[in-house]
Amino acid sequence: MEISETPVDLKRTLIQKGPKFRSHTIIFDENTAYLKPTISSLLFCVVYVVVGLFLMALSVIVYVKNSQLDFAIFLMIFGVAITTFGCTLLKPFAKRIIFDKETGKFKNNTDRTVHIENIISLQINNKMVTSKHGISYPCYELNLLTKNGRRVNILNHNDLQQLKSDAEKLAVFLSVELTDLQREIIL
Amino acid sequence: MKKLNRYLIGIFLTFMSMSAFAAEGDPSAFSAMLAGISSGVDTFFKDYLGWFVNLIFYSAPVGDTKFPIIVGWLFVAAIIFTFYFGFVQFRRAGLALNIVRGKYTDPNSKEEGEVSHFQALTTALSGTVGLGNIAGVGVAVAIGGPGATFWMIMCGLLGMASKFFECTLGVKYRTVLPSGAISGGPMYYLRDAMAERGFGGLGKFLAVGFALMCILGSFGGGNMFQANQAHAMLTYAFDVPPEYGIITGVVLAALVFSVIIGGMPSIASVTEKVVPYMAALYLGMGLIVILMNLGQIGAAFAAIFDGAFTGAGVAGGVIGALIQGLKRATFSNEAGIGSAAIAHSAVKTKEPITEGLVATLEPFIDTVVICTMTALVITIAGLNVAPFDGAGLTGVQLTAASFSDSVGFFKYFLALAVIMFAFSTMISWSYYGLKAWTYLFGEGKAMEMIFKIIFCIFVIVGATIQFGAVIDFSDAAIFAMSIFNIIGLYFLMPIVKDELASFVARVKSGEIKKYK
Repeated sequence: MEISETPVDLKRTLIQKGPKFRSHTIIFDENTAYLKPTISSLLFCVVYVVVGLFLMALSVIVYVKNSQLDFAIFLMIFGVAITTFGCTLLKPFAKRIIFDKETGKFKNNTDRTVHIENIISLQINNKMVTSKHGISYPCYELNLLTKNGRRVNILNHNDLQQLKSDAEKLAVFLSVELTDLQREIIL
Repeated sequence: MKKLNRYLIGIFLTFMSMSAFAAEGDPSAFSAMLAGISSGVDTFFKDYLGWFVNLIFYSAPVGDTKFPIIVGWLFVAAIIFTFYFGFVQFRRAGLALNIVRGKYTDPNSKEEGEVSHFQALTTALSGTVGLGNIAGVGVAVAIGGPGATFWMIMCGLLGMASKFFECTLGVKYRTVLPSGAISGGPMYYLRDAMAERGFGGLGKFLAVGFALMCILGSFGGGNMFQANQAHAMLTYAFDVPPEYGIITGVVLAALVFSVIIGGMPSIASVTEKVVPYMAALYLGMGLIVILMNLGQIGAAFAAIFDGAFTGAGVAGGVIGALIQGLKRATFSNEAGIGSAAIAHSAVKTKEPITEGLVATLEPFIDTVVICTMTALVITIAGLNVAPFDGAGLTGVQLTAASFSDSVGFFKYFLALAVIMFAFSTMISWSYYGLKAWTYLFGEGKAMEMIFKIIFCIFVIVGATIQFGAVIDFSDAAIFAMSIFNIIGLYFLMPIVKDELASFVARVKSGEIKKYK
């Protein structure tokens, strides 16, 4: 069987969208490097949970005080939907994303575990997040490449300065090459 | 900045707890307090901004009624653009549809994350369905009678040319800001294209004027009107007291806050995904009502055409019906206003004309199809009878009552759709307003934060107020944008005419390939 070689496009971003704020920073210990969510991003996600719980509480009040079932159900549905949404936003913050030299593994609880020895380089990529609302802002990714050609995202946020600083430290920590592959984006 | 963010979240959480307390506390004292706030806001808008509303809606006497000059301004512009571009909206409709269907897109050049033309169409469809189609038509028919629908359709057909024109310019003269964000819209084409034509000074003046009005429009029609009508819908569907609008306002403001201040794209993405389903739901409900009353369609259309040319029961007769039709159609499809040019400027294309052509479909779908459907549902229900003075049900409540007249539980789905549409529109307008704000004051976290905070406060104000002055202001601010936009557009007509001719010639010569 003939195996065709597909070149890995390192300039391509791995995630379509991304936040317009710094979502994580990398914290380094002697043998580990892990991603720490920023407090402000965490608090903005909590807003959804608070709003959702408020609507659920309001639903109970409406039912108990006025016995108005239709409005209570309406509020409850909205409340549950927004709370669930808030929880899904918070979920990634609960994940521990770590490079552990002792176990020799990188885990992000999303992709298959990567053996640190297989990581050959890190890349910084840029993209423009756009939407129908007319929103457009630049966003940046820090991705890793394994010797098998697999690419995995590490960071994805809007603060280039912090991302570059984290990337440089991580490259030293992993003893791999860091390449800045930002390109001009023409819409 | 971090500290500021935390402080802001604190304020919102305090508001939330106040609202919760309000829901449980003494309702009469709470109602009186809110009525007082509402009255105060209304008085403020009347006393301090009434002159602005009167200026924008300055009317000339026509027969026994008064015709707002601004309405004629938009209508005449749409007629002129239609003639000047050789009825582009009709003659190039096939080309526009082919672009949307991806016939001019190289299937091998599609990049990661790039939306397909079908996705672009569904996005455009969902973007056009909003409160203008639901509440706006309710207002038009309540005050202008069924005949207003005919004039809405006319305005939609002609407005397609205005939208083609401004969206083409929006893409052609977009700019990359120092932050890397793409920014476009009338502010930029008025400044840069007018300078190209040798009217740099006038262009700068028009750009600043437009940006100012866009900011006011984003607080008015793009914000307060939406929040107000969202709560009005809850009042109709669930008998929620109007004074409890503050709770609706705080909840909506908290969600808007997280998107525009927190920079969370997720909720905006979720809204983008949900809104097309809401649009489909609204269309589905409308079709069901129409199919249930097929026998009355003929009579409904007859009422629309008779009303358009007799103006029976309408204050001001035919002119009165025409004014309401044109006003509400413009509010709904935003053709000539300039806001669409801001939204379309972020599109990925090398040919500005393609975006202009695709944009022509929006007023057609919005006004000619969806507004007509809403008007038919209202006319069929017959809850709106002469004299058409808006004294009875109006706005979103008239539309909701008309849907519920055929299927009672439709009001619940409508309430869901209205809230989603209102939220989606507020997000869009927050960005339009922010673009105008950064144009005037430059990019900067502190300055942008001021706009965003004011925007969130206006969401609460909009949902809380119960009087007409704020709604009048919302209308005036949106229409005021067209003054500056259209003056500039008259100067820029040759640019787009050349662009269109070049594009059509390249399509005919095969330089621009057809792939399917």
